[in-house]
Parts: sequence; structure tokens; C-alpha cells
Amino acid sequence: MRYRQELILFLAIIASMSFQSCISPAPHTKPHHKVRIKQMKFVPDSITVNIGDSITFINKDVVSHDVTEEKSKKWTSKTLKRGETWSMIASEDVNYFCSLHVIMKGKIRIK
Amino acid sequence: MKKNQLKRKLRNVILILSLSLPITMLAQESPKLTDPEIAHVGVTANKIDIGYAEIAIKMSSNKDIITFAETMKRDHEGVIKQAVDLVTKLGVTPKENNVSSSMLKDAEEMKKKLKSKKGEDFDKSYINNEVAYHKAVIAAIRDILVPQSNNQELKDFLNAILPALETHLKHAEMVQEKVN
Repeated sequence: MRYRQELILFLAIIASMSFQSCISPAPHTKPHHKVRIKQMKFVPDSITVNIGDSITFINKDVVSHDVTEEKSKKWTSKTLKRGETWSMIASEDVNYFCSLHVIMKGKIRIK
Repeated sequence: MKKNQLKRKLRNVILILSLSLPITMLAQESPKLTDPEIAHVGVTANKIDIGYAEIAIKMSSNKDIITFAETMKRDHEGVIKQAVDLVTKLGVTPKENNVSSSMLKDAEEMKKKLKSKKGEDFDKSYINNEVAYHKAVIAAIRDILVPQSNNQELKDFLNAILPALETHLKHAEMVQEKVN
């Protein structure tokens, strides 16, 4: 009898937890954007995101590149070899470029 | 002033023609190149530009020239590594041939000319050479090496490096405008 009561209590707790997880909103995850670097271009070369969104640059090209803030070079990724990635958090409108191949340019715009 | 401009233009034309000759040999003589020979031509073209870049890094004091040359050295070394990985995977041994031998011979002449120059004269010669060289190599890859290649992966690799070469050309032209 006692074990039966304990089992019922245990099952009730489990059921309650399951119910809670169904109705509670999932923890908020920031959207994640990807920019591929290929054929000497940033693809897409312009993205519009929210403040705090994460942006990952992936080098899929045959040569190394970097991602550098264009106006005053206040931030830069390290040199990214083929296959390497670099992530940043969007905080403001910014133009960037590849300092190794100065004609390669891109933009981040905040919604 | 006009006489000097004319002299400069004529010098540039002669430079472009002398550089393009080994590459245009491909079109005029049109021996059918095998894949091992195409691989050797490709690697040679990259090695030649690395050689020019190393001279520029040593001899120039112009920031734009040095930055450009460092990019050429880095990029062409990277391309050679990937080319070697590819031919290893395909079991292809790059084979020396008349075209690549002629390219190397002419490159040695060009290197001697570059080393004989100084200051702004060197900078102009180097970057003018880079513009002409990249134009010639792009044309050779697009019009001769890719069509003649039998292996699809080799074709794809050659096509994949074309955008890099075109960007190099645009960068070279940008620097050429500043320097000239």
C-alpha cells in the first residue's frame, strides 16, 4: 500500500514536470546568421539583423580571408584559412571588408 | 610630357606582349596538354608569381606594393598546396613540358629586370608586370587549360581559382593606378 502511494506520488511529480515543460516558453535563443566567404565574395554581402544577433563567417574559398571593420578597423577576425570560421555579435550598422583582398566588401545593418 | 606618356605606354605594351608570349604559345602552337602537364603549368604559374612577390617584399618600400605582394605570396602558396593535395589524391604527377619550361625561362628574365630597378621605377615595373601576368594567366586557364583538361576535379579546381585571380587583377589595377 505504502509503495503504491509512493509510486503514485512519483508518477504525479513526473507528470507535473512534463506538463510544465510543455507550457513554459522555451528559453529565448538569439537568431544565428551565417555569411559564407566563397569565390572572393561575402555571401550574402549585406545582412539585416537585430542587436545581439550572432553572425558566423565561414571561409569556403580556396584562399585565406579575414573580416575587418572598414572605417577604422576597430575589430577584425584573425586570418581565416579555408574551412575556418569566426563569429561576432551584431551591435551597430557596420561596413566590413577583407583586408587581404581589399575589394571584397560587406555590410551589417541593424533592424 | 606627351612624349614621356607615349614612351611609358609603349613600354607597357612591350612588357605585356613579352609576358604574354609563353602563355599565348598555348593558343598559337596548341599542343594538346595532358592533365599532368596542365597540373605542372598551373603550379608553375603560381610559383612564378610567388617569386615576383618575394622580390617586391624585399625591394619595395611602398606600403600598397608590399601589402599586395604579401597577398600574392600567401594566396599562391595556398593554391599550390591545394593543387598538390588534389593531384596526390588523383594520382597525377605534374609533368614538365615546353610551356612550363618556357614560362620559367621568361620569368627568370623578368626577375633580373625587376632586380635591376629601384624605388618608384621598381614599383611601377612590378605592378605593371602583375597586371599583365594575371591577365595572361586568367586567359590561359579559362581558354586553354580548363577546356583541355580531361579530369573533372582538375577542371573544377582550375575554375575555382579563377575568381581569386580576377580579384588579384582588380587589386593590381587599383595599386597600378596609385603608383603610376
